[in-house]
Amino acid sequence: MDAATLSKGIFIAVPLTLLGLKLIPLRAVLRLPAAIAAGLVLGIAIVAAMPGGNLSYLVSFTTMASIYAILTLGLNTQWGFNGHLNFGIAGFFAIGAFTTALFTTAAPTGVMANYTQQAFGLEAPFLVGVLAGGVVSGVIAFLIAIPVLRLRMDFLAISTIGIAEIIRLIFQNERWLANGPQPLRGIPRPLDCLVKDPGCAPDWLAWLFGPLEARDYTFLYVVIVTLALALIYVALESALRSPWGRTLRAVRDEEASAAMNGKNLTSLRIQSFVVGAVVMGLGGALYAHYTVTIDYSHFKPLFSTFIIWVMLMLGGSGNNKGAMLGAFIIWGVWSGTAFLTGFLEPALAAIHPTLPDRSSYLRWMLVAILLAGIVLFRPQGLLPEDKVVSRFLGKITNPQRKQHSQV
Amino acid sequence: MPLLKVDRITCGYGDMQVLTDVSIEVKRGEIVSIIGPNGAGKSTVMKAVFGLLHPWTGKIEFDGIDISRHEPYEIVETGMCYVPQVANVFTELTVDENLDMGAFVRSDDQVGQRKQQIFELFPRLHERRRQKAGKMSGGERQMVAMGSALMLDPKLILLDEPSAGLAPRMVDHIFERIVHVNQQFNVAVMMVEQNAKQSLQMAQRGYVMASGENRVEGTGDELLKDPDVARLYLGG
Amino acid sequence: MTQASESARAAFGPRPGERLRAALRTRTALASLIALFFVLLIAAGLAQGATAERILSLVVWGIMLGGVIGLGGIGLTLVYGVLKFPNFSHGALTTLGAYIAFSTVAYLPKSEPIGPFSFGWELVAGLVIAMPLVGLVAIGVDRVMYRRLRRQGSSLVLFAMASLAMAFFLRSVIYLIWGSDFRFYYEGRSNPALDLPLGMRVQADQIFILALAFVLVTCVYLLLEKTKMGKAMRATANNPELAQVRGINTEKVIAYTWMLSGALASAGGVMYGLASQLRPEMGFWLLLPMFAAVIMGSIGNPRGALVGAVIIGVAQQVSSAAINPAYGPGVAFVLLVLTLLIRPQGLFGERS
Repeated sequence: MDAATLSKGIFIAVPLTLLGLKLIPLRAVLRLPAAIAAGLVLGIAIVAAMPGGNLSYLVSFTTMASIYAILTLGLNTQWGFNGHLNFGIAGFFAIGAFTTALFTTAAPTGVMANYTQQAFGLEAPFLVGVLAGGVVSGVIAFLIAIPVLRLRMDFLAISTIGIAEIIRLIFQNERWLANGPQPLRGIPRPLDCLVKDPGCAPDWLAWLFGPLEARDYTFLYVVIVTLALALIYVALESALRSPWGRTLRAVRDEEASAAMNGKNLTSLRIQSFVVGAVVMGLGGALYAHYTVTIDYSHFKPLFSTFIIWVMLMLGGSGNNKGAMLGAFIIWGVWSGTAFLTGFLEPALAAIHPTLPDRSSYLRWMLVAILLAGIVLFRPQGLLPEDKVVSRFLGKITNPQRKQHSQV
Repeated sequence: MPLLKVDRITCGYGDMQVLTDVSIEVKRGEIVSIIGPNGAGKSTVMKAVFGLLHPWTGKIEFDGIDISRHEPYEIVETGMCYVPQVANVFTELTVDENLDMGAFVRSDDQVGQRKQQIFELFPRLHERRRQKAGKMSGGERQMVAMGSALMLDPKLILLDEPSAGLAPRMVDHIFERIVHVNQQFNVAVMMVEQNAKQSLQMAQRGYVMASGENRVEGTGDELLKDPDVARLYLGG
Repeated sequence: MTQASESARAAFGPRPGERLRAALRTRTALASLIALFFVLLIAAGLAQGATAERILSLVVWGIMLGGVIGLGGIGLTLVYGVLKFPNFSHGALTTLGAYIAFSTVAYLPKSEPIGPFSFGWELVAGLVIAMPLVGLVAIGVDRVMYRRLRRQGSSLVLFAMASLAMAFFLRSVIYLIWGSDFRFYYEGRSNPALDLPLGMRVQADQIFILALAFVLVTCVYLLLEKTKMGKAMRATANNPELAQVRGINTEKVIAYTWMLSGALASAGGVMYGLASQLRPEMGFWLLLPMFAAVIMGSIGNPRGALVGAVIIGVAQQVSSAAINPAYGPGVAFVLLVLTLLIRPQGLFGERS
């Protein structure tokens, strides 16, 4: 086994370890070493066994699925735990992405200024950019929430569609803001000098980063994204078990009695909406640093709103684990359909010569049918809602209690 | 053979059982009144008869047909009509149009004739025929609701608390009209009522229900004179 | 209003802010604010240097756009009223109608333009074919999706989600069959403008569109007011449970509603394609203005939907004198939010 394999294996081990922490049914003190061990073994094994092309496909799949998982967690906070029907996810996704882009890139000067325009460029570090993405998204959500959140559910849905459209139109048409409709390029990748420049890493880590090449950066980024996903998940889960989270669910389930107990409904609903939007903004920021180039067309409703709803509906709304599971499965289905249409290409060409070019629309159609199927046959999703009471009590398993389902 | 026979039905909503072994009979041309305290299940009986609920056990027969599993529109076709307690008119439609809707399943030429009869029954409706039902008073709405239910010349009409929310004078008027309809059109009436005394005075027979079960049964007079019934359900 | 605030109000009387809010929630307030919005738009346009003639011709364009939005809006409001959910796939039905007509026109031999219009009889044939076909598609979608949900007693969310799925399904079908290129009914054919008094220049096609919208709206109105099925549709929209109790076959009413909705949507699509061009996203572009028109005109009210549509159409067009025309749907959105905040039951609805 060569040094590169070892390094890559260690990187892959991180998301595997995180997964192991969640899945391995051991007591906490044993779980961590077990997960690390399992992660390392599996990670190195996978890297050693898989051909290079498949391995990088797996890494990019995991990265994108994790980003979508973050977005789905954000939606779950808004919908699953507070019943806000947000059909404008694309807006917060875009805001997160563009904010971090503006924060972390440099404002173009000289000749470049003819080709690219942006409102500002702070050259801030990655973390600042990502957090800014979340914060700005949250602020916009707050401003929107005040007039719009108290509308009844279907009106809220229609309004959020409109908001997302306006946000997209702004990014499409306002050249001075983010170079719209031209793409905004050169979004810096965090820590990428570690693989590009041999002198960047500290000496004691030279053995880890040395063998890697510039194109192995994806291994580094998947670690960043999965760590972010894990952090967000843990934060949301503990927020749920906190008094704030319990009140949220009380408000969703029994609005009248929550009100009579003196809880300020509007403020609570705004808070949950904003938190969800912050998470979506974080997801958008991580997306921007991954794709390095963004423009308004990345945030059209199909990929940025619709598909996330499919993910949450499949996984199970009201359940953060379900949200993540749904994201990975649906991203898998979406990626899988690419292979499927590639495989079917001769058949498609036989039906009509233009069809193979339009195969991406066939994939959309399959996802649409999938959502239709979920709505008709399994609206509660794969994982039912977590009946959690507080961090001190663990889960309630009471099969006689009638499940309060969202649907 | 009775026109309507509810034979020991048990049913409820979802998992919650409301009625237990309830039996009710209505003979042709009769007025039957069902009284009892709140939560006795009186409205539930009516919904079960009309097919809005299906009995878990037991049977419901109407005019010799087993209607236990029928849907409301099928029951309408067998000759039974229902006046719900609330939301019993189309508020956005005029009086005229409400009556038209009552006779939706009938052909147009018979409808006009029937409407005339209804207007003779309720002259006030004729005055206000082009008014939106939603803009009328409670008593007028009740007339529209009953008139709509009568459009199909049913053999049996189910009335869910016809006097609810009405002023006393209007209550008298409505009850008087119910008796009139019963006698002139030979329509049997099954009536659930809070206003126990007046409804028993109109009825040939009555049932007293409590906690989802039959309690007492008898003619209107018998129940009125029964001291227990009087004490418990007629307010002394 | 929640139970808590209602009981508070009963105990202490209306708070000062509430009195102001109650005054704001009237029909007059909404109408005045809409009028004010128009004044602002026109003022902004004039400030940007637009002439009065330009603004006037924009108004005329806007009325025509309102006709297009209205045709879609009437179908949308009927479905919203009878079936009680917002049909997010309505835009896709509009697009489908336009494209079916396109294929019809492409298939038939070209004829001379009729009179001053730019289109020949093939477009009329396309319209006549597309309308019932899209109606049938709408009924088909209902059979497959929404009727099952009705039988299961599903919540509003599932209906909305289902219509979202259908929106993407229909859109992908359109992309698959016709591709993503822009199409025109009549490539390169000119549509000369007529010179009308007051210096207005209006294309004959635009007058046709408006006239067609008006005729179809009148037909819908007659249907709803005079025919038994129309009254049954209004009754079912008003009180679906009572409709069932009265023996009305609500499934039949629902099928008629979908047929009507689909047919009108496709008429709107064809008209929009005639006025500009056909692209697969055209229905989605119209969806937000259609919802704005429906809500402003009160859900379930077809005449209201047309009035709302004309207001939206004119606002969108006039705004292009002041701001980037791409923001047209944004203008519709502002009016939508205005309506929802001030008087959610719209201009013609009653307080429930």
